[in-house]
Amino acid sequence: MQRNILMKLERVSKTYDMGEVKVEALKESSLDIYAGELLVILGPSGSGKSTLLNIMGGMDLPSSGEIFFGDENLSQASEEILTRYRRNQVGFVFQFYNLIQDLTARENVELAAHLVKNPLSIEGILREVGLAERIDHFPSQMSGGEQQRVSIARAVVKNPRLLLCDEPTGALDYQTGILILGLLRKINQDKGCTVVLITHNTAIGEMGDRVVRMRSGEIFSITENQNPLSPERIEW
Amino acid sequence: MGILGKKLWRHIRHNKGQFLAVAAVVMVGIIAYIAMSSSYYNLSQSQENFYRENNFADYYFQVVKAPQEVMKQVEILPGVKRVTGRIQRDLPIIKKSGERATARVVSYTLPMENELNNLSLVQGRMFADNQRGSDVEVLLDPKFASANNLVWGDRVTVVVEGKETFLNAVGSAISPEFIYTMKDSADMLPDPQKFGIFMLESRQAQQVLNMPDQINQVLIEFSSGADQTQIIAAVKDILKPYGLLASYPRKDQLSHAVLQAELDSLRSVTLFLPLIFLGIAAAIQFVILRRMVKAQRSQIGVMKAMGYDNYRIMVHYASYALAVSILGAVLGTFLGLILAGSISQMYAQFFNLPGGMQGYNMKAIFYGFILSLSVGVAAGLTASRSVARIHPAEAMRPEPPQNSGKSLLEKLPLLWKELNPGWKMTLRNIGRNRGRFMLTLMGVVFAVALLIIAFFTNDAVDYIMQRYFYVGQTYDLSIRFNSLIQEKELLDINRMDGVQKVEGFLELPVKIHYQGKTQDEVLLAYPSDLSMKTMESGTGQPIQVPPDGILINQRTAAKLGVKEGDEVELETLLPIGPVHRDTVKIMGETRQLIGGGSYINLQRANRILQERNLVSGAMLKVETGKVGFVESEINKMLGVSSVLSRQKELQNFQKNMASMTYSVSLMILFAVVLGFAIVYNSSVMNFAERQREIASLRVVGYSTQEVSSLLLKENLLQSLFGVLLGLPFGRLVAGAYVKSVSTDLYTLPVIIYPLTYLFSALGGIIFIMLAHRFAIKGIKDLDLVATLKNSD
Repeated sequence: MQRNILMKLERVSKTYDMGEVKVEALKESSLDIYAGELLVILGPSGSGKSTLLNIMGGMDLPSSGEIFFGDENLSQASEEILTRYRRNQVGFVFQFYNLIQDLTARENVELAAHLVKNPLSIEGILREVGLAERIDHFPSQMSGGEQQRVSIARAVVKNPRLLLCDEPTGALDYQTGILILGLLRKINQDKGCTVVLITHNTAIGEMGDRVVRMRSGEIFSITENQNPLSPERIEW
Repeated sequence: MGILGKKLWRHIRHNKGQFLAVAAVVMVGIIAYIAMSSSYYNLSQSQENFYRENNFADYYFQVVKAPQEVMKQVEILPGVKRVTGRIQRDLPIIKKSGERATARVVSYTLPMENELNNLSLVQGRMFADNQRGSDVEVLLDPKFASANNLVWGDRVTVVVEGKETFLNAVGSAISPEFIYTMKDSADMLPDPQKFGIFMLESRQAQQVLNMPDQINQVLIEFSSGADQTQIIAAVKDILKPYGLLASYPRKDQLSHAVLQAELDSLRSVTLFLPLIFLGIAAAIQFVILRRMVKAQRSQIGVMKAMGYDNYRIMVHYASYALAVSILGAVLGTFLGLILAGSISQMYAQFFNLPGGMQGYNMKAIFYGFILSLSVGVAAGLTASRSVARIHPAEAMRPEPPQNSGKSLLEKLPLLWKELNPGWKMTLRNIGRNRGRFMLTLMGVVFAVALLIIAFFTNDAVDYIMQRYFYVGQTYDLSIRFNSLIQEKELLDINRMDGVQKVEGFLELPVKIHYQGKTQDEVLLAYPSDLSMKTMESGTGQPIQVPPDGILINQRTAAKLGVKEGDEVELETLLPIGPVHRDTVKIMGETRQLIGGGSYINLQRANRILQERNLVSGAMLKVETGKVGFVESEINKMLGVSSVLSRQKELQNFQKNMASMTYSVSLMILFAVVLGFAIVYNSSVMNFAERQREIASLRVVGYSTQEVSSLLLKENLLQSLFGVLLGLPFGRLVAGAYVKSVSTDLYTLPVIIYPLTYLFSALGGIIFIMLAHRFAIKGIKDLDLVATLKNSD
């Protein structure tokens, strides 16, 4: 099967300058991300997975190496180009939801929808994530799972080609976590959206089309799941 | 409203205390600006129109007596646009109560339109051109009419050359030269009970004053581009044979000088006061926004991750400052206009100006908005510049603890060791937020200084009153005669029942010449054994009038550039008799808090006139309880032109100063708003930033009180320093303020009573404590678990 490469990382490194110490967060890592796949990046904390995700999302530039999105080289991109890239191509889901406390669920989604020419329907997407009833609630009035669903809706409403999720279940209980994972899989299948999910929870790896394992800033294995598990069957 | 607009609106709603506090500071700045600039505008417009419409003269010449025809010679001089000749003379008034007052009789030629300094009728009717009957028709200045309860048809009595003459009041009128009606510059304050302008038709005036076809004043208006110096010289040549007494330009005209001085001081305050407030408002906005950007770091990170660019996020945060400015400007304009109305009303009490001083100056409103909005936007954009530096990936993680460098005190280990952990935290926190600490400190300094300025005016006025009315002069009554009399005639007064002592004086108007410079001055001549008046040297020490030479008024000395030991030439300006010249030595300088004049020995003054023992007035010491009786007895004497009782002078002074209470209370209000707003804001920020720390302390077992006292420590440090610095700073600003508002006519001494410092310091501490209490209201309600859990 011929798979289209959506994003290509070639020998990407990232060094943080912390004043007196230099921290090599990512060491010469190369990775191809295919259009339409659900990729799980596994690794303990400090393994460099968040750094990798940030670089993929155009939130950070590599210290060395090349990164392409389609034909576009983002390795040295200006702040302006990165902003445009994040706006039009990427959706983010964070561990702590990072919703704007002063805005309701609908408004938080609207905040993102605002930025693109052809967003999905705000009500539609909130219904899809199961929040039709809570649409005018403020984050402080919602449970963690609900907040995370708003956060997903907010990421998806722009109809991005790449959905990046940083420990999306990290702050949730098991039941809720499973629901969220199911939602991400559904979005991946229904909308054909590429999903990259990073987590330290190895069990989640079982639902990925491919699993990337990281340790100490390096990718040490990339495996392909012939039969990815559906999220309801994952246990931890 | 866009989504970001909603976010902003909700943020404002949740933090409305802070928002309103800054808006209040902007508001005060705009109130001050709008109120003062509108008052300035109204007053100066009113002045300008009045001057133009009533042909306010450019130059004045005073002669002893000249034939009317002399005007024809002046009229034909090239460069002279208009000439008006008239009579002006002061006459004693005998009121119905028998009291004395002074009328300044001025003649007017009908038709008036083309004459200089013509009249605008306020009430009643114009005097008739062809008057029949025995009574002469007179128009009064409105202040005199209302102070003496005169209505149209009333008769007023004046004394002309020893004879009572009746005038029939037909109305009231104003003229551009009598906007401020004060007898002379020695008076300082208007007293409409005692002095009024009497306007007569010219032929009637000539008849009443027995000056047929004669004038004693020539007023001219120059054509534009005329060589004024040449014209003045030419007019002087023409008038010389008729006893030229004085000539002065418009700027030395008393009413104009007072009005102009008021306008000038208004204009300087108009710029100075609002700028302080807007400057401080900008600084607070800057600090608030910087902290908001910092607190919402992760939100900014999310927005950036979503694809919002720096520009939009910056505009979003700057909009907060813009909203503050808009609210401040709207409220400030509204209240400023109300205040402008009442300031204009206050001016109307002092000045005889045509009505309708309530104009709205759209330009001032427009500038007020521009001023406050640009200050807001500038502060907003500068503060939110840091948005650009926020890295979306890092922003999502909680901010690493700040580099808590060692504070200055830690370099003094001996002292540092002695401090308890609470103080250590406080000092380190200050060290971390040096900018905010300095800003708050500055705010407290300004607020305390403002309190000092507000209280200081009271002190200064009280001091003047003490010095002038209680120490400077101890007489009970002061009388002036119509003409110079022999000192021995005072014996008649001395014999009156109740009179304990009489001391004569002579007021001698002169020109002082020194090295080509000339200054008009009144020489006040007192006998060598003077007891009812004390003079002050330039430094405020008591000083005696020397037997020879003069004690020159500080301000006159400065204008002439003379100093002690110099010799000056005097030229007398009495309306009758020949002009005398004499040379005298400057023996020292004298300071007068009210009025002017230089001092000379009575005998010495008589020698200038080549006379002996002449006086023009006398001061009386009267037995307690008999002042009223003596006053009414003296009022019966025809030769007396005015009687002043010290008690009534004091009352008049206090009445004139009453309006000051108003501006003082405003200043206090401004100071409190400023102080409160700035301390409140910094406390709120401090509280918000340290919520986690506070929650931890509470969890450990600190009580609400203990935590609150921790925050109070920081405020106390600021307030203590602020008050300490504010007190001398206030003294400094008071000095600068006095310099900017003092005029030829009066100076406020920079006198600040110790109690004022105490009150200002207390005031400062009170608003600091109040602001602190309001700001930490949230400590009790702090949800410990949520605060400690929340990563935001």
